[in-house]
Amino acid sequence: MSRHDDRPPSPSSGRIDTDSILESISDGVFTVDRQWRVTSFNRAAEQITGVSREDAIGCRCSDVFRASMCETDCALRHTMNTGAALVNRTTFIVNAEGKRIPISVSTALLRDEHGVVVGGAETFRDLSLIEELRSQIRGRYQVGDIVSHSASMRRVIEVIPRIAESESTILISGETGTGKELVARAIHGLSQRRDGPFVAVNCGALPDTLLESELFGYKAGAFTGATRDKPGRFALARNGTLFLDEIGEVSPALQVRLLRVLQDKRFEPLGATRTEKTNARVIVATNRDLDDLVERGAFRQDLYYRIKIMKLDLPPLRQRREDIPLLVQHFIAAFNALQNKQVTGVSPDVLGVLTAHDYPGNVRELQNIIEHAFVLLHKGQIELEHLPAELVPIWQHPPVGPSMSDTIQAVEAQAIREALERNQGNRLAAAQELGMHKSTFFRKVRRLGIDLPKKDGRSTPNGGGKS
Amino acid sequence: MKAALTFWDGRISPVFDVSREAMVLTIEKGAVAGRRRENIEASSAARKIERIMELGVQTLICGAISEPLHRELTERGVVVLAFVAGEIDEVIDAFLAGLLPAPAFSMPGCRGRQMRFRGGRGRGGKRARDWGPSGRH
Repeated sequence: MSRHDDRPPSPSSGRIDTDSILESISDGVFTVDRQWRVTSFNRAAEQITGVSREDAIGCRCSDVFRASMCETDCALRHTMNTGAALVNRTTFIVNAEGKRIPISVSTALLRDEHGVVVGGAETFRDLSLIEELRSQIRGRYQVGDIVSHSASMRRVIEVIPRIAESESTILISGETGTGKELVARAIHGLSQRRDGPFVAVNCGALPDTLLESELFGYKAGAFTGATRDKPGRFALARNGTLFLDEIGEVSPALQVRLLRVLQDKRFEPLGATRTEKTNARVIVATNRDLDDLVERGAFRQDLYYRIKIMKLDLPPLRQRREDIPLLVQHFIAAFNALQNKQVTGVSPDVLGVLTAHDYPGNVRELQNIIEHAFVLLHKGQIELEHLPAELVPIWQHPPVGPSMSDTIQAVEAQAIREALERNQGNRLAAAQELGMHKSTFFRKVRRLGIDLPKKDGRSTPNGGGKS
Repeated sequence: MKAALTFWDGRISPVFDVSREAMVLTIEKGAVAGRRRENIEASSAARKIERIMELGVQTLICGAISEPLHRELTERGVVVLAFVAGEIDEVIDAFLAGLLPAPAFSMPGCRGRQMRFRGGRGRGGKRARDWGPSGRH
C-alpha cells in the first residue's frame, strides 16, 4: 500500500476537483447513465451546443447533442456495447439556431469504484474554427454556400456584401448550374432583410396565366375554383427577397405587369379591386442573353433597364477549372456529413478526368457526378469506376489498371470528340483546331477507339457537297 | 391534411437532416384517419425535401433541422414544427390536441427557437391554430 505522504502536495481542498478541470477545458464533455440520460455537462459543452447545463441534465443525450451520427452510428452506443473507446470521429451537430457545427467526438466508458459500467463519457471539439482556418490557408473565397478561389469568381464574391447593403434590383446572369440562386441567397443572407423570407420563383417552369396568379395572388371568386384568397409571391416576400429565375422566359404581357411592380412597388391580385403594396427586394436571373432578346423585341427594353441596375455575370465552370479540385473537396465533405460516410477524396486519375470535362451543366453537374460516386462508395477514395460511364468512355473495357498515361489518353479522347462535334464531324478541321497533322489525328482516333461520326462535315444541308 | 413526424427508436428523430423514417398521418376532423410509415432516407438535402413534398405533407414535426432545409420547406408551403422531442405517440396526441409547440415537447435549449418559428404568438395565436389538425387545411 502506498503512503500518501510521498505524493506531491494536493490542492488546498485536499483533493483534485475534477469539476473544476472539466470546467476549464475548451472541449465539450458530457456523461450519460445507462438510460442515455445526461448526468453532467461542462461549460464548453454549453457553449458549443447552445444548451444550458440546467436544460441538458436529465434529458436524453440525442435530444441535447443532436449529432448526425446519433441515429445511425452513435459513438457512445458503440463504446457502451463493445467497451472500445472511439477517438476523433467527425460528425456535425445542429445547434439551437439551426446551424450545423462540425465536431470531432471521442468516447469512453464510465465505471464505478467496483469496475461496473455505469454509463459513458463523450468529449467533443468544435471544428468550425479549424475549418475556417483551413479555408483561409487554402486561399479560397467563400460567401454563403459559394466556394471558389478563381479570380473571376473572386470579383463576384467580393462585390456581394456591397450589393447586399443596397436595395436595388439585381440581375444575375450565367449558364444553368452556375449558382445564380446561391448568389441570390447569399445576397439575401447578408442583407438587412436576412430575417425576412427568401422566396424563389422559376418563371420558366409555369405557363403565363399560372405564373401571374403565382406572383400576384388572387382573390376568392376571381375564377372558377378560386374558393379562397391566395397570396402571391410578391406578398409572401414582404420584408424579404423575391428571386425571379429565368426572367427571359416571361411573356410580353407579364413583363408589363412586372415593370409596373418594380416601378411603383404596387400590384393587384387577380380579381382584386384594390392595389397592394410590396416592399420585397427583387433579384432576377437568367441564362439567356437579354441584350439579344431586347434587340429581337422579345424582351422589353424598359424592363431590361429597370432590372439591370446592377448586373452580376457568373462564369461557367469550364472558365474556372482551377475551382474544380476545391469544389470536389467541398462536395465530398458535404456528402460525408449528410450521408455519414467516410469518403476521403478522389484518385489522381479521377481528378484528371474531372478537370478535363467541359461541364455543360456547370457546378450542378459536378455535384451530381460526386453524388453518383457516393451511391457506389461508402468510404475510401473515389476511383474511375465510381464515375458515370459517359465521363470515362475509354475505361469501359479497361485493359489494365488506370495510370497517369490513361488519364492523358482520356483527356485526348475527350478533346478529339469535342473538336469533331464543334466542326460538325469535319476531320481535317478538327485536326487543325487541335494543332495536329491529319495523320497524327487519325492515328490517335484509331488508338483511342473513337467512333468517327458518319457525317464528315464537308457536305452542306443543301446538298452542295461532293457527289 | 397530412402531417409527418420523423421518428427513430419510438421517439422524434434527433436530426431531421439525416432522419430515415417518417410517420405520415392523415388527419380528418381533428382525428387520425390513416397512419403510414414512410422511408425518407435520401442521398442529399434536396432529395430529402423532394421526398417530403412527394408525400404531400402540409405539416412536418421533427427534431433539430438545419436552417437551409427549414427555410426551403417553409418556402414550399410546409409548416415546420422543429426542435420537437418526445415519444412519438405522446407528440401525436399533443399535436392533435393543438398543444404544439409546447415546452414539454421541446428539445433542451430550443424553447425560444420554437416560439420564434411561431411568429412570437402565444398558444391561442392565429398561426398556431392554423397549424393544428383542426385548422383550415
